[in-house]
Amino acid sequence: MWKFTVRRILIMIPQIFLLSILIFLMAQAMPGDALSGLIDPNLDPKEIAKMREKLGLNDEWYAQYIDWIKGAIQGDLGESFRFKMPVSELIEQRLINTFWLSVVTLIITYLIAIPLGITSGRFNDTWADRIITGYTYIGFATPVFIFALVMLWIFGFHYGWFPTTGSVKPGLEPGTFDYIVSKIYHMLLPAISLALITTVNTVQYLRSEIIDTKQRDFIITARAKGAPESRVYNRHILRNSLLPIAAFFGFEITGLIGGTIFVEQIFGYPGMGQLFYESILLRDYSVVTSVVLLFGIASILGALISDVILSLVDPRIRIK
Amino acid sequence: MDMNNSNVDISDEKLEASKSPTGWSIIWREILRDKVALISLIFLVLVVLFVYGISLILNQEEIVTVDLFAIHEPPSEEFLLGTDYGGRDIFGQLIIGTRNSLSIGILVTLMTGLIGIIYGLVAGYFGGTVDNIMMRILDFFLILPFLMVVIVFVAIVPKYSIISFSLIMTAFLWMGIARLIRSKALQEKELDYAQASKTLGSSNLKIMFTQVLPNLSSLIIVTMTLNLAANIGLESGLSFLGFGFPESTPSLGTLVSYATNPQTLESRWWIWLPASILILVLMLSINNVGQALKRATDARQRRG
Amino acid sequence: MGFLEVEDLKVHFPIKGGIFGRTVDYVKAVDGVSLSIEKGKTYGLVGESGSGKTTTGRAIMGLNNITAGKITFDGYDITDLKQAELDVRKQIQMIFQDPYSSLNPKKRVLDIIAEPLRNYEKLSKIEEKKRVQELLELVGLSPESIVKYPHEFSGGQRQRIGVARAIALKPKVIIADEPVSALDVSVQAQVLNFMRDIQEELDLTYLFIGHDLGVIRHMCDHIGIMYKGRYVEQGTTEEIFNSPQHIYTKRLVAAIPDIDPSQRKKQIQFRQEVQTEYEQSYNEYFDSDGLAFKLKPVSKTHLVALPEVE
Repeated sequence: MWKFTVRRILIMIPQIFLLSILIFLMAQAMPGDALSGLIDPNLDPKEIAKMREKLGLNDEWYAQYIDWIKGAIQGDLGESFRFKMPVSELIEQRLINTFWLSVVTLIITYLIAIPLGITSGRFNDTWADRIITGYTYIGFATPVFIFALVMLWIFGFHYGWFPTTGSVKPGLEPGTFDYIVSKIYHMLLPAISLALITTVNTVQYLRSEIIDTKQRDFIITARAKGAPESRVYNRHILRNSLLPIAAFFGFEITGLIGGTIFVEQIFGYPGMGQLFYESILLRDYSVVTSVVLLFGIASILGALISDVILSLVDPRIRIK
Repeated sequence: MDMNNSNVDISDEKLEASKSPTGWSIIWREILRDKVALISLIFLVLVVLFVYGISLILNQEEIVTVDLFAIHEPPSEEFLLGTDYGGRDIFGQLIIGTRNSLSIGILVTLMTGLIGIIYGLVAGYFGGTVDNIMMRILDFFLILPFLMVVIVFVAIVPKYSIISFSLIMTAFLWMGIARLIRSKALQEKELDYAQASKTLGSSNLKIMFTQVLPNLSSLIIVTMTLNLAANIGLESGLSFLGFGFPESTPSLGTLVSYATNPQTLESRWWIWLPASILILVLMLSINNVGQALKRATDARQRRG
Repeated sequence: MGFLEVEDLKVHFPIKGGIFGRTVDYVKAVDGVSLSIEKGKTYGLVGESGSGKTTTGRAIMGLNNITAGKITFDGYDITDLKQAELDVRKQIQMIFQDPYSSLNPKKRVLDIIAEPLRNYEKLSKIEEKKRVQELLELVGLSPESIVKYPHEFSGGQRQRIGVARAIALKPKVIIADEPVSALDVSVQAQVLNFMRDIQEELDLTYLFIGHDLGVIRHMCDHIGIMYKGRYVEQGTTEEIFNSPQHIYTKRLVAAIPDIDPSQRKKQIQFRQEVQTEYEQSYNEYFDSDGLAFKLKPVSKTHLVALPEVE
């Protein structure tokens, strides 16, 4: 067990290194540099040249890379020229918003996936299964952004059941009960929209896993022993099928990142996705680089967590 | 596609009589049996014929020209689906958009397929250290936040065009098929027929592409079909965000993106809803065909 | 000097382990095997699963990497196929065990049999087709079969296609890796007799790998018995079957079924005796690792793995 984990973590180091290199090179390719957001255009060009020298912007690329990575590790991600504030401060609030949106989405994803998957797998080839399978088929083919738009159109605008923009009702005191309720209320429609689409993979997986397990010898043995059907499901089948699902949440992070860009944009939800989108439109590149770096690391960590949990659940993976 | 065809003069009837049971006839039979897949296929063929046919006649210049006297017109006889904020005909844009989305979807699918097949085949066939290194590289691409990286590339590429857009998409989308091909190639190369080829003096390259590859054809067809649907979705998503097609070239996603204006979303459904429905139905149909192909190539799942 | 000579062949597979996947140990699949085959003769390599007999054959063909040892063919060193002075593929060919997986399911018979021809002989399409049809006739299949796919044939017919492919380049030696063990018993004799006919007709030398002593006895002039990667006994068919010296060989020979029912009792008794002897004297015949000792000559052709006598 520990061997696999250690090896898996060792693989992660070059991954993060490569990711940082890639992002650094992307940043280099972007027009402008760290100075362009800071300086007063009326300054003397000689002064600017001096400042560039002082900030190390004329150094070799690897020296600049090392400077950048040093800063990033210490939490210094540069300065946003649009907001005139350090990127780390700017990101903080957005990160919290996106974090909670993701958590709520994941919870809803599993709340939908587990009952549907179990029903569909246990009673396969019944009408209930057919409806659920039909849903997964359609969900699989539906792009998140279209579904989110339709949800906003129907439940946000037409019925007015949900707020159509923002993450909280303006004017509420942070920390109060009303504030929290309003936060959750604003999160609900984006989270449901995203979850209804992302959940279909899990439903499909759970269904085929259960159908598979049902035909295994040890289940047939359990039945032959006279174990009641509910016990067969609760003790044997679900134990075997649910654990891998639990491990998937790490992999889901990568998918969620893509989803949040769309969903936050459509629902006007001030999170990392929207920040990324706005920053790239306004060419606020130090923010863009930071967001990509953070999300990249998040998906590397997510994959790590999933792999380790999976190896705990399924020893066969460790042998690989 | 038929790798078996050597140029020996054997009459067609003979070939017909000796069709492999895992070939096209089974695929065809499976689709005929599966009504949903059949309807999807017919629908797709019609859409393709219609869209590519009409767009030959349509004057694209005229459609994308701004007409300030016809802004936001609801559907009428002149404009079947109304007009957008620039007075441009939505129906015409819909047709050109569908054509563009389909074309780029197919292009990206073919390019990712080509890269993925070669990459996966090499990794799987040689195995060992080669495989190990190649899979580590693939893993790295796989954990990148796809959408963000593509958007950044689209934003920083100078002289942005349809070609560079499809190249950027391809660069970050070849991993799925590569991984599938690799794991199948790992199994295939251990089979005696591949070993036999070695003893018969065939080079590794020859064995990979003329012996192993034909045995992966069904996997490739199924995967590429399903990828096509996914790629159309991704393209329209990126166009929706404004990082897909250049502005002069409408795509289905471009039409949907008008809905980011709350007023359009709320009260001018004819602009964004038809394109949304079309994307959905296209992806659904391609997926249906893909799933039927999958069943056809997997004997255990075959329906009859 | 034999026609095909194997000297002290070793094939070791590494076992990877640890965090970095270093090589921690080796599986000694073949561990010091020597054999010599005379031209036109059939040499039988016998052993249970995992004894290394197939690995030996595959190592000669270059399908497994050779750790140590030397292989010569007709006086040429062919240990490393790439550096050999003659093209070994044209001289030595192989028939595979499983006729279901050894023929590419996506290829027509024409393409299967023509594969070696396309690699080594520049023939026109018409010449090629003619050659393939001749080969098919030689192995007893109809020339029309060229447009068919492997799945349209029975196991025995498939194995004939495999033979046709192997003899397409007119090789001198054929390594037959359990060529009939995947076939129905009723078809086995047919294929075996056909292989003998071909041998005479084309003056072939066979290395026949198998575990069925009945088949081996029927086919071979010389026999080598393998156990855990090493030889335990080697000799003419006569010597092996009539005066087995090693306890392992004795047990194998005793296990051959006898078709005479009147002998049944005697057979059972004999087998039990051999079994008892095997259990009692196991430690005398194998070293502390359970491996065979070095071969020692008992006669000019008969070699047995016996411990050093102090």
